[in-house]
Amino acid sequence: MDSDEEDFVFYGTPIEREEEITSRRKKSIAEASGHLRTLPPWKQEVTDEEGRRRFHGAFTGGFSAGYYNTAGSKEGWTPQSFTSSRKNRAEVKQQNILNFLDEDEKTELEGKSFGTSSEFDTFGFTAAELARKQAEKEQQQRPSAIPGPVPDELVLPATESIGVKLLLKMGWRRGRSIRDSHADSLYESRREARKALLAFSSDDAKTQLTDSEHGESHLESSVEQPVNDDVQSSRSTPVYVLNPKQDLHGLGYDPFKHAPEFRERKRSRLSDNRKPGYSKALSMKESLFGFKSGKVGPGFGIGALEEYDAEDEDVYGTAYDFEDTIVQEVEVEEPSGVTKDRRPRLLGKEQGVLPGFIVASKSDYQLERFDPPAVPKNFVPHHKFSGPLETNKKFADPPPPEVPPPGENNMKLLIDGVATLVARCGKLFEDLSREKNQNNPLFTFLTGGNGHDYYARKLWEERQKRNDQTMLAMDGKSSLADQKMTAESRGKLLGEKPLERSSKDLSSSVASENAIHMQYNLSDTFTKSASYSELPEIIKPFKEDPAKQDRFERFLKEKYQGGLRSTDSGKASNMSEAARAHERMDFEAVAEAIGKGKHGKESLLSTLQFMGVSPAGGMQFTSGGLEQAKDAQAENLTTKNTYPRREEFQWRPSPILCKRFDLTDPFMGKPPPAPRMRSKMDSLIFMSDSVKPTKLEESDAVNKGPYPTPQSDAQEMSKIGETEVEVKVEVENVERPVDLYKAIFSDDSDDEAETFDHKKVVEPEKKIEVAHTALNHLRAGDFLESLGKELGLEVPPELPYLMSKAKTPAPQKEITNAVAKTPVSGTPVDRAVLQHRGTTQEGESLKKTFIPGNSQSSGGKFRETEEDARAKSPSSRNRNRSSSWSSEDERSRKRSRRHRYRSSDSYSDLSGDDRDRYRSKSKGRKKGSSREKSSSSRRKHNKHKHRDSPSRSYNDAEGKKEKKKRRERD
Amino acid sequence: MNQSDLPRKEATVLRGHEGAVLAARFNGDGNYCLSCGKDRTIRLWNPHRGIHIKTYKSHGREVRDVHVTADNSKLISCGGDRQIYYWDVSTGRVIRRFRGHDSEVNAVKFNEYASVVVSAGYDRSLRVWDCRSHSTEPIQIIDSFLDSVMSVCLTKTEIIGGSVDGTVRTFDIRIGRELSDDLGQPVNCISLSNDGNCILASCLDSTLRLLDRTTGELLQEYKGHICKSYKTDCCLTNTDAHVTGGSEDGSIYFWDLVDASVVSKFQAHSSVVTSVSYHPKDNSMITSSVDGTIRVWKT
Repeated sequence: MDSDEEDFVFYGTPIEREEEITSRRKKSIAEASGHLRTLPPWKQEVTDEEGRRRFHGAFTGGFSAGYYNTAGSKEGWTPQSFTSSRKNRAEVKQQNILNFLDEDEKTELEGKSFGTSSEFDTFGFTAAELARKQAEKEQQQRPSAIPGPVPDELVLPATESIGVKLLLKMGWRRGRSIRDSHADSLYESRREARKALLAFSSDDAKTQLTDSEHGESHLESSVEQPVNDDVQSSRSTPVYVLNPKQDLHGLGYDPFKHAPEFRERKRSRLSDNRKPGYSKALSMKESLFGFKSGKVGPGFGIGALEEYDAEDEDVYGTAYDFEDTIVQEVEVEEPSGVTKDRRPRLLGKEQGVLPGFIVASKSDYQLERFDPPAVPKNFVPHHKFSGPLETNKKFADPPPPEVPPPGENNMKLLIDGVATLVARCGKLFEDLSREKNQNNPLFTFLTGGNGHDYYARKLWEERQKRNDQTMLAMDGKSSLADQKMTAESRGKLLGEKPLERSSKDLSSSVASENAIHMQYNLSDTFTKSASYSELPEIIKPFKEDPAKQDRFERFLKEKYQGGLRSTDSGKASNMSEAARAHERMDFEAVAEAIGKGKHGKESLLSTLQFMGVSPAGGMQFTSGGLEQAKDAQAENLTTKNTYPRREEFQWRPSPILCKRFDLTDPFMGKPPPAPRMRSKMDSLIFMSDSVKPTKLEESDAVNKGPYPTPQSDAQEMSKIGETEVEVKVEVENVERPVDLYKAIFSDDSDDEAETFDHKKVVEPEKKIEVAHTALNHLRAGDFLESLGKELGLEVPPELPYLMSKAKTPAPQKEITNAVAKTPVSGTPVDRAVLQHRGTTQEGESLKKTFIPGNSQSSGGKFRETEEDARAKSPSSRNRNRSSSWSSEDERSRKRSRRHRYRSSDSYSDLSGDDRDRYRSKSKGRKKGSSREKSSSSRRKHNKHKHRDSPSRSYNDAEGKKEKKKRRERD
Repeated sequence: MNQSDLPRKEATVLRGHEGAVLAARFNGDGNYCLSCGKDRTIRLWNPHRGIHIKTYKSHGREVRDVHVTADNSKLISCGGDRQIYYWDVSTGRVIRRFRGHDSEVNAVKFNEYASVVVSAGYDRSLRVWDCRSHSTEPIQIIDSFLDSVMSVCLTKTEIIGGSVDGTVRTFDIRIGRELSDDLGQPVNCISLSNDGNCILASCLDSTLRLLDRTTGELLQEYKGHICKSYKTDCCLTNTDAHVTGGSEDGSIYFWDLVDASVVSKFQAHSSVVTSVSYHPKDNSMITSSVDGTIRVWKT
């Protein structure tokens, strides 16, 4: 064995044999009695009778340590999770102190508990307890009709308590009150004595006394009476209410209040269950003074003549009692169901409403009455129309009945003619003709004779017609007759001048100014004129200067008449903007004065006089007296008139905004709105000195491109000096950036990019230079973007066109920094500039390539501008569209073309290796472009972000550019 | 309403803000009021009993405006930290933060259903934020203003903004139209009349101007107070009978709506009155000032 054991390795603990266990037990017993006692306490081991070790340390026993030791359950202290499912209900354990006690503790507890022995069971409690327990046990053993525990009252003490025994020995009988009967007599005697005293004190009281004595005797008799057995028995102290609450109703609630028959049934059932013979006997009413009901019930044991004490009064029991008796009576008298039914119904009627409901004393529901609105005392029920009074009034005239024209044709014609005249010239004409032709038999219709009705009708018709016309003239709305009106005819009717096509000479300064004016005009074209009908008589305050007078007249016309304003650019151009503005102010003031003058002839005269006095071409009102005040007033008025000024634009709410406001989107399914006109102020600001800000802007734009890239090799670094100069030169060249877009967008140049040849290259130098700059940005941006992609960088956008192409991560500060320290930022500029050396054609093609990308990115103003640009030349638009679909091929083709142009570019001053470098870059660009499509989805996002970009000055620049563009287009 | 009914008696002074109080607003039913100020807190008060109920802290800079929903469950506030906070009133927790304004946010308002918040910023834009979705991006940016937008009002169908560029612009969502009323003077506060037909615009030339909304006509001008450099609020009384506004010298003015005469004027604060808010039903008013107090005025 031993050798075997040495050879084998054993896993686990060997199963102990039976004999071993028994031997261990023996050993343990032996130890317990023997030597273990000698060991110190911390070395002793506690074992159970089996000899197993009991108390474990915290780390040796674990949960099971408590298995046999403390918790007398299988689980011990092992934590459990409570689970209960629908199918497998967890049993709710009623916990008891005994559950947590060990056997020995239980026995100990048993021994410690006190109880009175039956001998000294004064109140019979112990006996009752025992009896109840017995009954319970019995019930559990045999099935019973009544579920649940046996009611206490059913189980009566089996033995007579010692107290009862004593009382009985003292002469007390069951059911009787323990109260001393002599107490009453004592009280009586005392009263007697008092009465006697009273009787002695006064004779008068004698009658009273007899009276009271009489009453007393009555009382006494009534008191005496109950001294029969019956009454005496009822005199015993009321047993504590033997009607424990066993139902689940609220306190005082009686479910049988209106259905007593059910109560009766229930009770009978109960009583049947309890003591069959007993309760039935008692439910019979044998005598008035007997037990009302043998069992439970309020007022049990209270004699009929005994006074109710506060304690005795059963607050909740009265109704019960009442009902009870009634039911009992009913039951006794007529045990038929019909009468039983009648009762509750009657009761119900007494209540007035449905059983169980009570009529509310005050109802919440009240009819709300609203007083009619109070009419102010000074209110006249007549509506006044504020608009053009006459026409409205006439309009409102009720039409006279239609009358057939009189027989004679002459008469009809005459009437028609007069009616037309009267309608045109007014009532005055009618009166006049009436006076004149009083005796003329032909004109009797005027005075109410033959044909008057027809005349009236005709007149009304004429007036109506006239009104229509005036309305039409005023509103410019086409009436039924003018439904087929063309734009020109309408314009003519309204006095508009047909829009002239702007001159195609794009390089001239006049054109740009013209464009500005155009916008100016357009914005003012449809302003409502101040008054429709009355043109102020033309007064000539500037007689000396015919040109000025001419302008003044035109101004007046503009002021009082609607329609497009003509601006003679030739005349206007030789005046400075400031002078023109000044003159305009002047005209305004004069017109004001004239307008005022019309109201009072006096002032008109004075104005005229004043005008005459004022020197030739007087710019200012150097006025005296009356005029002074008037001038100030006029000025005040002008400011008041100019402000507030209302303008209306189209605005497109986002669909989700409409949804959130619970409104339908007015632009649902419509293309994006047209670009909105900026206010005149903008164009004016940038008109005269547009060069400066644009120059800044351009340089900004150029410098924005060179967002510092980490790749700045030494070779490029060395170039910085020159490139910086180059950039400067480029910027200087930008003289009229306004024209730059025109050069790109205008019709003729737009037409054929494909067949573009070197002819165009020989165009005026300025234009080309301008186009260069445009190109520079375009291409720089494009190039940088592709470069950035290659390098995995984000490149700031360059121009609005490129906006969607890239995101601008560089804050403004950084840009300025970049501008300041050129060494770093210069390198990309270098590249950009290298690339810039292109031709107009290239710009053209480049631009085209951008468009598709942009149109994909969609949304906002930029797209609109494109669309506009495209709209200018349908052919190019078509091409663009195609390019947008096959942008990839097209782009690559164009790129190759660009190379071709590059080689033939006469303006290129690049050195050979520079060009080479460019080529290599462009190759890279090609590579980058294949990724373009995938990034187009990203663009959208970028653009969105861009709009929120924190650099405001950048936005400014952008805005300005936009403005310029728009102006250009106009 | 009689002139004697104008709230001129000081009922309570609400103290607690450290530094200037920039706005004080009644809630929808006028039982509570909210204030915000330079101490970066928003405070909820019971102005009638003068009790401070709660303080909302989270803003990193001064709080410029606050508004509460009609059901009093949510707050919206904005301030110098360029952020708009959407609060739960009872817990005082920030539900959402809207970021996107490029600079300080001057005013903020809920729409009628509290589904949308419109904010007016120094970055010349009105931005509309969605409270229903979890997106913190604006659902609309209105950037037609030329200068800082100082105040915003909402009707059921329109967004109205007042700007330093002198315009009051009404954006009608139903028609898709923008109406620009150029007042010629920087507008620093606009408020709607209770009938919704007029706009009262406080201009920086110390004039309040009443505009007819349908025609854009200037109905009346109210002068006498000083308003040249601060954003001082103005509003109409709840009966639309009087116009009230604060002055930079700390006094409160009441004008007759129709004849523009100064009906009442009294010194309310020791410093610039930043905000006035009239009770929606009673003759009661709260004013806030740079002196750090909010005063409750009753008849």
